[in-house]
Amino acid sequence: MKNTRVRPTGRERTFSEDELIVTKTDPRGSITYANDVFLRMSALHEEDALGQPHNLIRHPDMPRAVFKLLWDTLKDRREMFAYVVNLAADGAHYWVFAHVTPSYDDTGRVVGYHSNRRVPSRSAVTAADDLYRVLRAAESRHDRPQDAVAAGHAALQQILAERNRTYDELVWDLSAGGAR
Amino acid sequence: MTHHPALSAPAGNGDDEAMYAIADVCRRAAGGDFEARVPRLGDSDAFVEARSAINELLDRTDAFVREAGAASAAGAAGNFYRRFLSGGMGGAYRRAAEEIGRSGDAMSRNADEIAAAAESRLTFADELESAVLALSERIATSAGEMGRSANGLAGFARAAVTDAERGLGTVNDLRRSSGQIRKAVDLINRVAMQTQLLSLNASIEAARAGAAGRGFSVVANEVKTLANETGESSGEIIDQVDAVQAASEDAVRVLRAVTDRIREMSTLIDGIAAAVDGDTAHETTGLSELATVLRTEVERFLTAARA
Repeated sequence: MKNTRVRPTGRERTFSEDELIVTKTDPRGSITYANDVFLRMSALHEEDALGQPHNLIRHPDMPRAVFKLLWDTLKDRREMFAYVVNLAADGAHYWVFAHVTPSYDDTGRVVGYHSNRRVPSRSAVTAADDLYRVLRAAESRHDRPQDAVAAGHAALQQILAERNRTYDELVWDLSAGGAR
Repeated sequence: MTHHPALSAPAGNGDDEAMYAIADVCRRAAGGDFEARVPRLGDSDAFVEARSAINELLDRTDAFVREAGAASAAGAAGNFYRRFLSGGMGGAYRRAAEEIGRSGDAMSRNADEIAAAAESRLTFADELESAVLALSERIATSAGEMGRSANGLAGFARAAVTDAERGLGTVNDLRRSSGQIRKAVDLINRVAMQTQLLSLNASIEAARAGAAGRGFSVVANEVKTLANETGESSGEIIDQVDAVQAASEDAVRVLRAVTDRIREMSTLIDGIAAAVDGDTAHETTGLSELATVLRTEVERFLTAARA
């Protein structure tokens, strides 16, 4: 895919507190809907986004373990919160406080996933950036993706254990700094 | 890349098709299906703007509904750290979001208060338990001591009553003896009076006999003197006997009063013993047994309170 070859420029893009970035995917993670704010922030045309897997905007700074946790949580039919840095098609990046939830039909079957992203506070971004640096360092020592995920996951669990927090509690600790 | 259906502008009469497409999405959303979004309607500014506006409305409503459900579920599960995200919400959405946030805060405070109350309940249970344990032990100890003291006192009282009754018997004996003495002295007195009378007659007869009765007169005089002394002594003895009898009556009254008091005391002591040890005749429970019952009941109550 052409997007994986986008090189980060280090330029950061932000959006307003009143805005929501919204995407929907099918159960396999392919984008079925992207709102205007998503397209603007990601520097994408609608036709470049729809039908694409969601890692279209994957930034190399994101630890693999966070996405693993995201998918594990969603498969558990639970909501997932995460600070995520995304890579736009033009090389810029933008931080979001993502809230991902399964979408159900009337019979309770998961018909897809829905992600609302809100603008995070700077303090939360700084803290998440620090955390991800540690996880990334743990992951970078492994060549095989599954080993890297396991190492990142172990590093995350160790940090949580040291702080005596669950992942959710840690995320909301950061949010208490001002994410709305 | 496959062409995504949302990107296909409706075929045929553009305006009508677009309006039907909007109507379809709105009806699904009205029915609570927030998965639908308005597809591309056409390239005119009006179509683009209408699509963007309707989808934004759906996005925000969708976000609000998801937040309302998830935040309430988190609150119900006690995960009060999970706040209602009011970002991206304006106007009534924001006001309702803040309202839900406040009710979450209230729930959190209530939960904290309940937790604090539960904790102080446990602390109170611990304090009550140790207080009741100490109390029941002290009651049991005191009850034991009281029981032993009461039994000792009852023994003393019985012995005192026996002693006093024996004393009463002795005094009564004394009174009877002094009565007999008095009778004897009366008899002596009468004998002395008759002897006086006899000596008087003897001295008269001796005088009539003249010189021949002189010696007899001396004897009569001696007899009279003896009778007089006897009479005086008898009077003194009677006075003594009267004094002894009066004293004995006093002693009897005092001893009766003492035994009555001791008997009353004995009844009271029996009452104390019954209160301490229980009374099988009246099916009353003793103090030491009550202390055990108290402890058992409080333990039962505490088990329930700690659950």
